[in-house]
Amino acid sequence: MKNTFQAHFLIAAVCFILGMMLVAQFRSVQINGGAITSLQRAQELTSELKNVIDEREMLKKEITELRGRLTEYENSASKVSGLTDAMKKELEKARMTAGLLEGTGPGVVITLDDSNVPRQPGEDPNLFLIHDEDLLKVVNELFAAGAEAVSINGQRIIANSEIRCVGPTIIVNSVRLAPPFIVQAIGDPDTLESSLKMRGGIIESLQVFGIQVSIKKQDNIEMPAYNGPVQFNYFKPVKAGEKQ
Amino acid sequence: MIYPLIGLLLGILVGIYMPINVPVIYAPYMSIAVLAALDSVFGGIRAIEENSFNMNIFITGFFSNALLAGFLAYFGDRLGIPIYLAAIFAFGVRIFQNLAIIRREIIERLLKK
Repeated sequence: MKNTFQAHFLIAAVCFILGMMLVAQFRSVQINGGAITSLQRAQELTSELKNVIDEREMLKKEITELRGRLTEYENSASKVSGLTDAMKKELEKARMTAGLLEGTGPGVVITLDDSNVPRQPGEDPNLFLIHDEDLLKVVNELFAAGAEAVSINGQRIIANSEIRCVGPTIIVNSVRLAPPFIVQAIGDPDTLESSLKMRGGIIESLQVFGIQVSIKKQDNIEMPAYNGPVQFNYFKPVKAGEKQ
Repeated sequence: MIYPLIGLLLGILVGIYMPINVPVIYAPYMSIAVLAALDSVFGGIRAIEENSFNMNIFITGFFSNALLAGFLAYFGDRLGIPIYLAAIFAFGVRIFQNLAIIRREIIERLLKK
C-alpha cells in the first residue's frame, strides 16, 4: 500500500509542475499574442491604411481644386491692369521652374525594368535589380544633357524631389514606385539619347547585368505637374537690399 | 485518483500567483515540456492501474523524455528542420494509448465489483 501512495504522490508532483508550466505558457501566449491576434492586427492595419489612402486622394483633389481657383483669381486680376499682367507672366515662369505646371514637348522616354537574365546560384541578386542609385544616375545624366523637365512613373522631379530605396520599391516625391520605371524627359531628343547611350555611360553599365533598358524619342511628351504639397517651414527668403 | 487532480490545481494556483514568464523564443520548448509532463502523468496512472508502478522508472522516464524532447527542439532549431514534431507525435500517440489502457482497466474494475 505504501507503494501506491508513493506513486500517487509522485504523479501529483508531476501534475503540480505541469500546472505551473501550463499557466506560464498560457500567460506568455496571452502577453505576446498568438497567431490569431496578429491576424486581427493585420486586418486593423489594412483598414487603417485604406482610410489614409482615401484621405490622401481627397486631399489631392482639394489641392487641384484650390490650384484651379488660384488660376482663376490670377486671370481675373491680370485683366485689371498691365502691372498684374506682367506679374502673372513672371509667376508663370517661376511655376515652370518649380515644376508646378503641366506641359508638353519633344524628348525621350526611357523604360527600365529588372533583369530577366537567369541568375546563377550564388550570384548577388541585387545586381539584377534596379536601384535608387541607377535611377538617380539616369535622371542626373538627363539633367546634365539639358533636360528641362523629368518625371518618373508620373512623378515630376522638382528641386526637392527624393529618389530613395525603400525595401523593394523606390520612393519619389513620397510616392512608392515599382518597376518598370518609365522616365520621361523633355529636351533635345538627340542630345538626351546620346548622353545616355554614351560608351561607358549609364545604359551600358546597366545592360551588363541584363537590366532591360529601352529609349524612345518622342515628339510630344505629356509631362505631369508636381502634385504634392509645397511647404517651407524653415526656409525664409532674404529680400533684395536687406543683405549686407 | 484524486491526488493528481489536487496536484494540478495546486500547480495552477501557484503558477497564477507566481510571476513566471516564458520568453517567446522558449515557447516551443515549453510546449514540449508540457507534453512530456502530460505523457509521464498518463504513463504513471496506467502503471498504477496495472500495479506495475516503479518509482525509478517513472522519474527517469520523466526527465529523459523531457531532455530528449528539448534536445530535439534545440537541434531542429539549429538545422532549420522541425524535428520536435517527432517528439510531439510520439508523446501524443502515447498519451492516447495510455488513456485507452487506463479506461479499459477502470471499466474492468468497475464491472468486477
